[in-house]
Amino acid sequence: MWLIRDSIFIGLLEASPLVLAAMGFTLIYYLNGFINFAYGESITYGAYFAVLFNVSFGIGFYWAIFPAAMLAGLLSVATYLFFFRPAFLRGVDPTEMIILSIGLSFMLRYGLVIVVGAENAYLNEPSIGYFKVLELGATNLQLVALILVLVVAFNLYWFVHKTGFGENIRGLASNEELAMVSGINPHKVSVLVWFLSGVAGGLSGIFSGVFSTVNPLMGWNIILITVMVSIVAGVGSVKGALVASVAAGILAAAITLISKPLYAEIFMLTAFIGVLWFRGAKVS
Amino acid sequence: MDYFIFSLSLMLIYVGLASLLHVQFGLLGIPNFGVVGFWGFGMYSVGVLNVQANVPFVFALIITAVLALIITYILGRVILQLEGQAILCATLAFSAIITLLVVTEKWLTFGVVGLGTINYPWKSGDFTEFTYFIFLVIVIAGIQHLIARIHKSSVGRVMIAIRDHEELASSLGKDTFTIKLQWFTATSVLMALLGGLSAPLNQFLTPNMLVPGLTFAVWISLVLGGKEHRFGAMIGVFVTFGLFDILIETYAPVAPKYAVMVPNIKLFLYGAMLVLALLYRPRGLLFSDEGKASRSVGPV
Repeated sequence: MWLIRDSIFIGLLEASPLVLAAMGFTLIYYLNGFINFAYGESITYGAYFAVLFNVSFGIGFYWAIFPAAMLAGLLSVATYLFFFRPAFLRGVDPTEMIILSIGLSFMLRYGLVIVVGAENAYLNEPSIGYFKVLELGATNLQLVALILVLVVAFNLYWFVHKTGFGENIRGLASNEELAMVSGINPHKVSVLVWFLSGVAGGLSGIFSGVFSTVNPLMGWNIILITVMVSIVAGVGSVKGALVASVAAGILAAAITLISKPLYAEIFMLTAFIGVLWFRGAKVS
Repeated sequence: MDYFIFSLSLMLIYVGLASLLHVQFGLLGIPNFGVVGFWGFGMYSVGVLNVQANVPFVFALIITAVLALIITYILGRVILQLEGQAILCATLAFSAIITLLVVTEKWLTFGVVGLGTINYPWKSGDFTEFTYFIFLVIVIAGIQHLIARIHKSSVGRVMIAIRDHEELASSLGKDTFTIKLQWFTATSVLMALLGGLSAPLNQFLTPNMLVPGLTFAVWISLVLGGKEHRFGAMIGVFVTFGLFDILIETYAPVAPKYAVMVPNIKLFLYGAMLVLALLYRPRGLLFSDEGKASRSVGPV
């Protein structure tokens, strides 16, 4: 019983970076139909932008979140405008788009290493306060992250399902030509989607950075699990991404409690291959 | 001089891996992003058998081949009917699992402490490294010969048909799944064996050898050289590995202060080259003539 309670609690608190990353990732996957590994660099750069504002400029952590996330969004738009859009226009097929995104990911990551070095960086944590919830401890930082996740999740859901822009996205994703005939500007919608998903990735990086450390590999380390969670959740489902990433967080916490954290990762990667197989068999 | 032979030997291993990837991706269209997983499995399997169980090198290679055959056959059965994107993610996940297992299973692999020492299978005094290098030349020549045979045979044409239009190939009565499974398994086992042959080269094995950067370096070689061309993989490796790991590391006058940055600059440029190649020269930087005929088979 303690295992279920503890793993739900720890899972919820620690899942927030993954939830943010998965929700942002799923938007691009939904709209453009390819797995964007360079999304991992939105996560990394978000954290480094936060270090820039928080450590170099000395702005308080909570205030640094906003400009850092905006810059991560702009970086994501730049990758779309300068690399992915030209590739779409040249008719690069989805598998090669992924390879392109992996190339771009290496370019951005090691470009960053050349500029700032490979050492760990640290965010100046705001004063930590401990709270007791259900006899278990949580920090104010973890609670802020959790609340922020809920706010972002609610807004994204509302955006995709209740607004005109959201309708445009869904229209473009399901039938691009029809959507364009009915007067939707695919370019404008794409820029917005890439911006939003970059912001979500940036926030994910900022929180995983403040929970532990900021390093150039952090995005790459989380991207595989993010891709996995989004595929299992179903393409383009913001709600599905939320549920699946929380479930993954709880599962990881449970396995970590009874064995080692690395076994949680091995288990989830194996399960992922299994899910792909199960799905594939059902389709054909 | 020893280091130079070591670099050349490692380059041969890369040529082998890239050539096998050429069969998988260039001919069959299977985007295997878990190259380091197959290679690393072979290397650690030979290492563990050799160090922990005192199995002679040749028998360690044979056992490794059998184990790799079982693993890659099961993996192939599970993933090969999926679409390209899913295969790419699944193979990437496979390689991540192998790396994680090497770290966690300390009783077998000594984890991050490292596993050693794996000796060369034979001793010939000062010429041991050199004779092993000659042995690798023969192995890689064998792989190249196999690929030349594939290109000339009807199997090669079936592979290209599967890559370009699998439904069409299967409607012509070709058992496309079996062909894919057979060749994926065979080439992946060969990747594992190349890993096994890398074990004595590296002598001391640590998990940080199993980085995604290796998969990436092999891919950049293939894409740069031309994924569909018979010699694309080889020439890609000569350009990338030869330029960065041999010429620059051995001969360029880099101050020690900056030497640590060279691998980072290398990976940055690899990324940039891959992006540019896919955008502007998707058939490879060096070749763009081959495969025009085969392209017309594809969906219009």
